[in-house]
Amino acid sequence: MSRKLKFNIFRYNPEDPKSVPRTDTYYLEETPSLSLFIALNKIREDQDSGLQFDFACRMAICGSCGMVINGRPGLACKTLTKDLPQEITLMPLPVFKLVGDLSVDTGTWFRTTNTKIESWVHTEAEFDPQALEERMENDLANAIFELERCIECGCCVASCGTANMREDFVGAFALNRIARFILDPRDKRRDADYFEVVGTDQGIFGCMGLLACEDVCPREIPLQDQLGILRRKMAFVGLKNIFKKHA
Amino acid sequence: MITVKTYNLEHQPSRLSAYLDWLQMLTGAGLILFMWSHMVLVASVNLGAGVMNAIAYFFEATYMAQVGGPIIGATLLFHFVLAARKLPNTSQEQGVIWRHAKMLRHTDTWLWLIQAVTAMFILVMGSIHIWTVLTDLPITAAKSAARVQGGFWGVFYLILLPMVELHVGIGFYRIAVKWGFIKRATRKGFHRFENIWTGVFILIGLVTIIRLWTLPLAGH
Repeated sequence: MSRKLKFNIFRYNPEDPKSVPRTDTYYLEETPSLSLFIALNKIREDQDSGLQFDFACRMAICGSCGMVINGRPGLACKTLTKDLPQEITLMPLPVFKLVGDLSVDTGTWFRTTNTKIESWVHTEAEFDPQALEERMENDLANAIFELERCIECGCCVASCGTANMREDFVGAFALNRIARFILDPRDKRRDADYFEVVGTDQGIFGCMGLLACEDVCPREIPLQDQLGILRRKMAFVGLKNIFKKHA
Repeated sequence: MITVKTYNLEHQPSRLSAYLDWLQMLTGAGLILFMWSHMVLVASVNLGAGVMNAIAYFFEATYMAQVGGPIIGATLLFHFVLAARKLPNTSQEQGVIWRHAKMLRHTDTWLWLIQAVTAMFILVMGSIHIWTVLTDLPITAAKSAARVQGGFWGVFYLILLPMVELHVGIGFYRIAVKWGFIKRATRKGFHRFENIWTGVFILIGLVTIIRLWTLPLAGH
């Protein structure tokens, strides 16, 4: 027998001065393989056309449908209702600017953070459109790809105690991103250059090791391991100069 | 030839955050080792008052207590100042982390809050304990027993014991995962080990407090 699911959904439209934050309740008959993404679309279709939430790919690659599901940040498209209790509470991701209801603006945050950490390959090499693509070992390519799988959904940031408390903390997303460039031989930045970007309390030394990022990441990127490697690396870069005088 | 130093024109990224993170970890690791050793040494009273007295005598005859004690006290305060940089300072931040923890229901986030709260107890009670013991040397089983049996100090240590062991145990786990000594594959098992380890130390502590509470005070 199928369950009758109860949805408690956060509602607020910051654009509307008359809108007050509240929780609306909806009921939906559970169907086989029902994902939250399908459930939300059904609710919007049949019960409340004003309900705001984001989605695009419905297969966990676009990173649009991040939301707080029964207290935990996750992707609506990747979460099946059969893995949840009968009562489901949905809230927008914290940290990011609220667009309305479950929709948040992750784009501005990621753009700002990517700019702050200079999230691109730094090279002096002249680009030759005729040349063959530079080759690298398969293992290295795989290692880079493992970290490159991040879809910028914002779940790691929303689940981070530090990011919630301190606006200027770059979060696991950015630290993983830097770890990815450290691996990439095409990026000519040296350790000292990376230190300048993340060797601060807004970067890796601001991380308190609560590891919620590791536990909620829908892509299961090895954030714990990368944060550990990066902290050690940056800590030693910091030490290196302790005995050096100014040039 | 005249050379002009242009320190403030040079771009030198600050190394301060790195140094402070090193110091926070190293003072923490040092205090963890100290607290576990301390527990084992005090627990020697369970083998007999004479054993504890002999150990205490050794540490005082070699001046390790007189010199090491104040150093431990200073390290405790220094560690607090370092780690306090990460604590929520304003009531706004405190509200944020509290609501966040309640929403997330995530073990490691709660453990961090336990660390933050126990830190306050240890700061005050640990300081009082260090002061009381070091201003009343030598340490003897009889004096410790008399203090505990007075009632006030017995309750005092029943509170301080779990505070310290939780803080130290969680800190041990936290350092290991933060600095990458424990990887994703071994985190769960290590966490379980840390829980058991902490439980064992709390148990040793309780047995020791009970021993001191029941130690005959004759001859004192």
